[in-house]
Amino acid sequence: MMQPRSTIAGRIALTAIATVILLFLALPIAVILVTSFSNNAFAAFPPEAWTLNWYKALFADGSKWPTALTLSAFVACLSTVFSLIIGVTAATALTRGELPLRSAVYALVLGPLVIPQIVTALGLFLLFEPAAMLGSPLAIALGHTVLASPIAVLILIATLRGIDERLEDAAASMGAGRLTIARRVTFPLAAPGMIAAAIFSFITSFDEFYISQFLSSVDTVTLPVQVYNSLTFDIDPSVTAVSAILIAFAVLALGLVALVRWLGSGRQDSLLSVENTVGVTTPGGEAV
Amino acid sequence: MAATLTTKAPAPPRKLLASRRTRAGVLYALPVVVYLLVLFVYPIFSTLFLSLKNANGSFTLHWYADALTGVNLSVLFTTLRISAETALFSLVFGFILANAISRLKPLWAALAMLIVVVPHFISALVRTYGWIILLGDKGLVNETLTGLRVPGAPFQLLYNELGVVIGTTSMMLPYTVLLLYGVMRGVDRRLLAAAASMGAGRVTIFRRIYLPMVAPGLASAGLLSFILSLGYYITPALMGGPKQTMIATLINQQVTKENQWNGAAAQGVILLLLTLAGLLLVKLVSSLGASRRKRSAS
Repeated sequence: MMQPRSTIAGRIALTAIATVILLFLALPIAVILVTSFSNNAFAAFPPEAWTLNWYKALFADGSKWPTALTLSAFVACLSTVFSLIIGVTAATALTRGELPLRSAVYALVLGPLVIPQIVTALGLFLLFEPAAMLGSPLAIALGHTVLASPIAVLILIATLRGIDERLEDAAASMGAGRLTIARRVTFPLAAPGMIAAAIFSFITSFDEFYISQFLSSVDTVTLPVQVYNSLTFDIDPSVTAVSAILIAFAVLALGLVALVRWLGSGRQDSLLSVENTVGVTTPGGEAV
Repeated sequence: MAATLTTKAPAPPRKLLASRRTRAGVLYALPVVVYLLVLFVYPIFSTLFLSLKNANGSFTLHWYADALTGVNLSVLFTTLRISAETALFSLVFGFILANAISRLKPLWAALAMLIVVVPHFISALVRTYGWIILLGDKGLVNETLTGLRVPGAPFQLLYNELGVVIGTTSMMLPYTVLLLYGVMRGVDRRLLAAAASMGAGRVTIFRRIYLPMVAPGLASAGLLSFILSLGYYITPALMGGPKQTMIATLINQQVTKENQWNGAAAQGVILLLLTLAGLLLVKLVSSLGASRRKRSAS
């Protein structure tokens, strides 16, 4: 490999350090999962006794968490719909159409991903404040879409590039109209990518903090803002339970994306199987 | 569209077809362009205008002078320092980890990459909270160190610069590992074997062959984590003390607590300019790397 005659001692040392770094990445997550079932939610690790109290406290009377969760879910749903509409149209334009200033459009799409989120959030605050839209779930969803839609566009570009255009051409040559092609050929092949784009848009909005914080009011507090507040202001031990739920949710979403990709991966290959046996390589589904 | 196509001559002129595709492309690009112009580009420009405006609406550089003096200047330096430390650590750890993973068998490599990538999709707020639990006086880290009779334990690992850098480094590591892993997998192993066959030692091979090949990747990974750390807010605010106030914290305070929008806008623009300068450097480095690859290939 890199060092052709690497010593055994060197290899063991490298493996040990790499394991420590992997622990460094995994530990903060593992510790929350464990602590959320511990009777002492703040200190003392490992826990002395186990409890479900923090999970029960989430849904107790007067708890702020259900409202925050509902608001975040609502905002994330809106944002996902907006992002998908923008994502599907933009990815179509960037992969299928002739587009003047294509690289400028592409740069515009990448913009929100590289500009510091606090700057985007500040700009959105200055936009929505004069419109008296602070605290409106719609404003928060519109703001989140600025961050979520570029991700949807990138995923859908990769998806559409992975679809062999000859399948669409073949359908057209047999007299299918454009709508029919989109509905019967492109959409079924793009469905896994669209589901992935939807899931990632949802997570992006659901976890978003900066924009939510700038655009929220006392009555509209999203889940991440509530988590932040309870970490800085009022000490609320049920925040560990919320964090554990957020972790489970993210892992579940990633698993879902993997599952959908795995289910969708074989589809196009079977359609193009004649060529594959001849040895012509087809462009495979590009990874996100 | 389909109807017009069938009523026209069987083979439509090329030019017409091209213009129709152009029209469709522009039409489909319209939503994203309009959306981002209104909700992303326009707000950034209004931030810029606000940062240059006086209370009575006339032009001023007062807010920039304010942002670049006294406490605000020291916050800017703190931001640069913490970002540089974060970039350095995430680069070193990222290099070691990516290198180790690139030597693993595919199954183990995939598992290790899973541990690297999955945390990236978990809210930074949640991961920061995990660190707060871990690094506290009675947290796992200090308990272990005390149990091992490490002199000086328990250590103060939170609410100081060490805490912030631990937190931000763990947030940036997935980026550097992913970038460097890609670069390392692209290294042609035959070149290393060739050098070894000519009698080069391991250190020489690493320094003269391997490092130059991954250097552009290292530079862009370091720059990227530096840029991403610049605008970071959650981890420094929750894991640092007052001495670790970063520019994003200051922007947030000015908007939510002091209603000082102009000052916040000026600091936002400074943060934006620093980011753009960093991105320009990334681009420069990658084009430099590409030209070098081309030369070595020929």
